[in-house]
Amino acid sequence: MLYTVLSPYLFTDETTILPKGGDPSTNRPKRSHHQPGWVRGHQKDGGDYSKEMPKYITAGGFARARAAEVKAMLKAVTKRPASCHVFETLPKHMRRRAMSHNTKRLPRRLRLMAMKLKKKEQTRSKSRKARRRHGNLLLEFNRRQRKNIWLETHIWHAKRFHMVKKWGYCLGDRPTYKCYRPCYRAMSSHCLLQDLSYYCCIELQGEEDRLLTGLSQLTSKEAGPTFAAALCLSGRRQGSVVVYRAGQYPSQPLGPVTFLWRPRTQGSTHRQLWIWAHPTLKQVLSSINLRSVCDCSEAVVPVVVPEPSPAEVTPTVDSEPKPKTTPGAKRKRSSKDQSGPPAKKILGDGTRSPTTPVTWKSNVTCLICCLMCCSDLTMEIIRYRLIGPQSHTVITEAFEAATSCDVRFMKNKESPSSLWWPEHCKDENKMHLHQQQADVFHLLKGIFSTAELPPGTILGLTVDDPRLTLPTKKVKALPCSVSGPKAVSSSTHLVDEEKRRELVLSGVSEHCCQSFLWDRSVRDNVIDNKISEQELNRMRSEVLVPGSRLPVPPQGRVPVLLVHQPGKQVGHEMSSWGAGWDLLLPKGWGMAFWVPLVYRGVRIGGLNMSLKHSQNKSAPHFPHDYPDCPAGVHFQEEQEAELLDKFKRRPPAKRTNYIKHGCLAPFCCPWQQLAEEWEHITREGGEEREGAGRSRTTTEADTVMEGRWRPLVRMNRKSLRLLSGWCKPTTSKGQRACRLRLPPPSLDLSAVKSFLTSHRMTLVWVRLSLLSGGKPELHGIVCVPTSEDLKQLKSSKKAAAPSLPSDKTVEKETELSSASDPNIPITSSSPLDLVLGLWPDPLPSVASHCSRLTLGWVTQGDFSLSAGCGEALGFVSVPGLLNTLQNQPMEHRGTVLLRNPTSLQYRFFEVNLDPLI
Amino acid sequence: MVRIKSRHLLCEINVTDRNCLLLLDDRAVLAAVKDTVLRMHGDYGAAPLCFLCVFLVKYLNAHTGIVFLRFPKNCYKLLWSALPFITSIESRGHKISCFFNCLHVGGTIRTCQKFLIRYNTQQLHRMLPKCKNEEEKQEIRQAILNCSLLRGKKEAFEEASESEEDEEE
Repeated sequence: MLYTVLSPYLFTDETTILPKGGDPSTNRPKRSHHQPGWVRGHQKDGGDYSKEMPKYITAGGFARARAAEVKAMLKAVTKRPASCHVFETLPKHMRRRAMSHNTKRLPRRLRLMAMKLKKKEQTRSKSRKARRRHGNLLLEFNRRQRKNIWLETHIWHAKRFHMVKKWGYCLGDRPTYKCYRPCYRAMSSHCLLQDLSYYCCIELQGEEDRLLTGLSQLTSKEAGPTFAAALCLSGRRQGSVVVYRAGQYPSQPLGPVTFLWRPRTQGSTHRQLWIWAHPTLKQVLSSINLRSVCDCSEAVVPVVVPEPSPAEVTPTVDSEPKPKTTPGAKRKRSSKDQSGPPAKKILGDGTRSPTTPVTWKSNVTCLICCLMCCSDLTMEIIRYRLIGPQSHTVITEAFEAATSCDVRFMKNKESPSSLWWPEHCKDENKMHLHQQQADVFHLLKGIFSTAELPPGTILGLTVDDPRLTLPTKKVKALPCSVSGPKAVSSSTHLVDEEKRRELVLSGVSEHCCQSFLWDRSVRDNVIDNKISEQELNRMRSEVLVPGSRLPVPPQGRVPVLLVHQPGKQVGHEMSSWGAGWDLLLPKGWGMAFWVPLVYRGVRIGGLNMSLKHSQNKSAPHFPHDYPDCPAGVHFQEEQEAELLDKFKRRPPAKRTNYIKHGCLAPFCCPWQQLAEEWEHITREGGEEREGAGRSRTTTEADTVMEGRWRPLVRMNRKSLRLLSGWCKPTTSKGQRACRLRLPPPSLDLSAVKSFLTSHRMTLVWVRLSLLSGGKPELHGIVCVPTSEDLKQLKSSKKAAAPSLPSDKTVEKETELSSASDPNIPITSSSPLDLVLGLWPDPLPSVASHCSRLTLGWVTQGDFSLSAGCGEALGFVSVPGLLNTLQNQPMEHRGTVLLRNPTSLQYRFFEVNLDPLI
Repeated sequence: MVRIKSRHLLCEINVTDRNCLLLLDDRAVLAAVKDTVLRMHGDYGAAPLCFLCVFLVKYLNAHTGIVFLRFPKNCYKLLWSALPFITSIESRGHKISCFFNCLHVGGTIRTCQKFLIRYNTQQLHRMLPKCKNEEEKQEIRQAILNCSLLRGKKEAFEEASESEEDEEE
């Protein structure tokens, strides 16, 4: 028995213990205490084998060892099993049905634990009915929009779309039903509707010349039309520009914005300007704008104007200076930085809680009564985008120009009405203007396609409440054939035709672009006096003949602004594809306009579709294709993290081995490294010819490297045109003919050299169209073809024989380099950073990694339904591109290779560089 | 339930010199058992041990000399019969003379653990009256208290962890 064995130790005299005494014996059990309770197999405690061990142990040590073991065992025994159900600890024969439902079916000793678990689940105590009660539901909605702003159509979207939280908003990404192709078809033949209310509107007010001087710092004439473009300034067209940080023209772009000028009013130089910007842009733009505007006012007036600090933010522009006791929410909002979510208040009526305004306004007043004001109208104005050739049909069918109020009724009642429309009806001028606008609106019906109109046309309008004319069933808005229903006399017909031609050629005349939407008081009036849905339904039920049309109540007129959006402007195929109208509405009326539009048979698209839209349009999409803007950089980082995360979720054996595929950066594009390397390559090439001027360039480069540098992406129009001339145009016949008319720009050395001196580290945005099969993907690698490749292409013209990248050699190269290279990073950095299948962080030379030199990467690539083949949009390095072009024979000029990151197959692509970006 | 059935033998390794116990590790025990089985029953006996997933040393406490051996259920008696013939374990160059004392045979580790708890506390209780001096007595009393006191502590610990989880939600 154990005891007999142990007895000698137990009864050893304490005094006979070794000089070390109780020291080790007390130590060891302690160590066993620290061990994890239940250790499998080998015990890691064997550290002290080499140490001197005591000859005897005491009873105390013996007991402690047992106690520790008992403790460990107890811990192991009482530990709950992996699954959290309590009854799984029970043997099978004691299990009962529905144990998890009724804790009383458990044995008493387990009940407590089960109750605890159950309590955790029952956090939601209210019944569903109580939760769905209107007030409670609204409270819940308000709680949920605290972090991300909801658009007015949020609930509608949330029922049908996969929602994503982006840029501080909850936005619909893609519908839950399958509709990729139908949406494309809608864009190309009917109409696609999107809610773009998340775009931010910034309003600037002030003297025209002062505004222009202020804004001129943000743009440059070299890059194309600016804020001061005559057509835009008159208020007839919408303009779009890329804004830069104030005064930093070529270096620090912020992103593209569109802008609308309010048409001039007689005898006043006070102008109003709306700048529509992407939400990622707004933060920096509004502050920059503020500053630039402030600067200019300082320059004119020597009076010291303090910086537009939040302290002097005052709530409104309205004529009478409001006291400081403005609504608390607004004050709070303005006093803290505008980055946070807007201060939400639970609306009393609570029909549309998401419309809580985000209005901070700051005005910089100078003493000589010149007022410059910059206000943020985010979520104040709703913007819907209709894309497609029939969008005008949808609009004309869904809306009706406002009917004038009953004048006799008005005359009887001389007292001024609180509603805005009856007031306007009294004014002859305004009614005349409205009549003209309505005429133009009627003319729209006869137009064949939205794309016919001059791009950027603006039409101001006042429409009736569209809910009144809501059809009982969803109908598809069809274009009324011009010849068919026109039973009118031919003379009026001809007049109409004439007017229509006028409209198509020159757009809407200036005074028709005026809208009361610009007017804050009118906007507020419209918002406040909206008839609720409930009221409307009550009125419907009281109509004598059920289903007949309601008379328009006096408050049912809404000022809107229709803005034409240009379609595809580059290339020669499918020109002006994807043109459409933007509909600007006052807030609060979102759903009232959304549902009637939906009832006209439009498709609804989400963020995903807007990306595809711009891709098919061959236009850069904002955060994706602007790697030089802070928002674009941020987006790239986000995308990289997301892709890397997705990649890491696969087990290493199932991942794509990007090292073997010779793909250095599958998730991000190291633009800067690429630009630097190409600069290096071209400089080396140049050195052979001339040695002079080298020291200068290197020092320059060093100074550039020191600063925080981003690759330049934008260049001025002239050089862009020159560069696109050098690239061979596409093979389509129309373009070639067009090209023949111009003298072909010569691609000689001196011209290239002079070009390169100004654009040494520049990237340029190109369209790549496929010559044979294949589908380009995100982050595909654009490479320089070798002369053999071109020969092969020439010999087998259409035989779809793009050069295989001699996969063995590539693999060997990469294997060799991967075998030798990782030694360095592993020793330098911790091996934890290493992800299997990806290159370790300090990338080797990007440009010359594969067998072919890398020119750039693809930022968007897909099978393009409009072109019928793969199309990619991406950036290439300018020195690299020029180098390539120089070395290529004339007939293959502009041919590059493209390879997807997950494939070894190269494909031939053609570079298209469009002077109009 | 559907699983590979096995038997767990809770054995005590008895040595003449207790310090030698600290030299033990699971691989040495495994090798010793294997050798003995091969010696006693030949290839026929050693064959079941080839399934390494079934034949394992699940637990070894070098301080108390407690070891859990896992055998396949269909032939555990055969293997068990070889255990008394183990006289020494070769570990780290030392030859430790010892013998195995089987205390319990269980179907799961859990039953073995439960038995071990009972057995150890029983041992401690039996030691208590045989103590020679007051100091020893005190220490053993403390050890016994340590065993039983744990339950309360453990519950407290569990509750703390649960509350943390709640906060995370």
